[in-house]
Amino acid sequence: MNCEECREFIDAYIDNELDAATTITVKRHLRECAACAQFLEARKGLRALLGQPELAFDVPDSLRTRVLSALPVAPAKPKEDADRFRRRVVIPWFYVPVALAAVFAIVFGLALLQPGWIPGHAGNRALVAQVISGHVRSLLATHLLDVPSTDQHTVKPWFAGKLEFSPPVQDFAQRGFDLIGGRLDYLDNREVAALVYRRNKHTINLFIWPSKPDHAAPVQTFSENGYNVLHWERGGFSFWAVSDVRMEDLRAFADLEMQSS
Amino acid sequence: MNDEQTRARFESLTLPLMKDAYNLARWLMRNEPDAEDVVQDSYLKAFRFFEKFRTEGNARAWFLRIVRNTCYDALSARNLKEKELVPEGEINDIEDTTPGPCASVVAKATIETVRKAIEALPVDFREVVVLRELEGLSYKEISDVAGIPLGTVMSRLSRARDQLQLLLRERKENDEL
Repeated sequence: MNCEECREFIDAYIDNELDAATTITVKRHLRECAACAQFLEARKGLRALLGQPELAFDVPDSLRTRVLSALPVAPAKPKEDADRFRRRVVIPWFYVPVALAAVFAIVFGLALLQPGWIPGHAGNRALVAQVISGHVRSLLATHLLDVPSTDQHTVKPWFAGKLEFSPPVQDFAQRGFDLIGGRLDYLDNREVAALVYRRNKHTINLFIWPSKPDHAAPVQTFSENGYNVLHWERGGFSFWAVSDVRMEDLRAFADLEMQSS
Repeated sequence: MNDEQTRARFESLTLPLMKDAYNLARWLMRNEPDAEDVVQDSYLKAFRFFEKFRTEGNARAWFLRIVRNTCYDALSARNLKEKELVPEGEINDIEDTTPGPCASVVAKATIETVRKAIEALPVDFREVVVLRELEGLSYKEISDVAGIPLGTVMSRLSRARDQLQLLLRERKENDEL
């Protein structure tokens, strides 16, 4: 490899985008050529400059609110599109049974492929997205806490005046899950209690609302977009814990909550 | 999926990307109000086309592509679009093959100097630099977001870095005068 070729590949080289063979050739050339090695150093200097976190812009708080209020409730489904479709497309009826069979096969294939997707859990899976979005919103909108308090005896009574149920509130600070407060949230078409915990620097939202009296259900786990979600029921309450902490940690948290009653 | 679920899914996918979206828009538009408008438009557009997005796809690349295209539309609509990509010849002229001074000079630039240097790049160059160095995208993702072939990503990035090194050196020399 000569210098010209080396310069051509050197950016992909520092970006780790070269195949193994070319990487080796570039490395060999860099060992032998002082000028190219120096060029690489200049690139590394530039990279260090561009890698400074201070270069990033902070999102203005007003923008979050603006976006959330500008979004319509549902994606628009333009009516004229549907009409156009109907006018132009002639359905070859012959293919309909074939198509139906294909759809059937695909749906069941997907259902089998996705861990945790069991027909009875379909309702829960829909809730998972709501729970995650509740969690994400709580972190974005600077509305994490209505009642900031690490004292369970302050948090629990606070809910009393706001909800028609009294959620169980516990602090697990000694086990590494610090209660930092609570707030009201809205999930599954109802007002719910949200307890907020800290694990190292991560936030855990625990959503609680009444389920069937004395009903208990074992822990179900879900993972989506980097968030872990656990759901269980006990003592007449439905619990949803959501966070970006590791699944083991969230599991430990759920175990603490379940043992504490 | 009902409307509420769709909206919830959309939010859980795209709200965590707001920082990336805003930064890309801020770098490309080069001012705050335009960047905010672009981000809002992008969210509305993304929501409108959300049904076409496949959940197993790369949400970040998908969303940043929408932001990027919205920026380009806004830039041309407002007649602000910077001059097209600098012609090949000119770039080769500024390509710097004497590595010596760059390394030491570059190391001393401040945040403000670096920011100005990035903003001085032509938009096509700025885009690849921001996507790679500030947003940390792979070449493949950049190629998806910017809609250019992989080879072009590589060469544009390389030219953009050459130009940045040169700009940073010039600014340093001006500061010293």
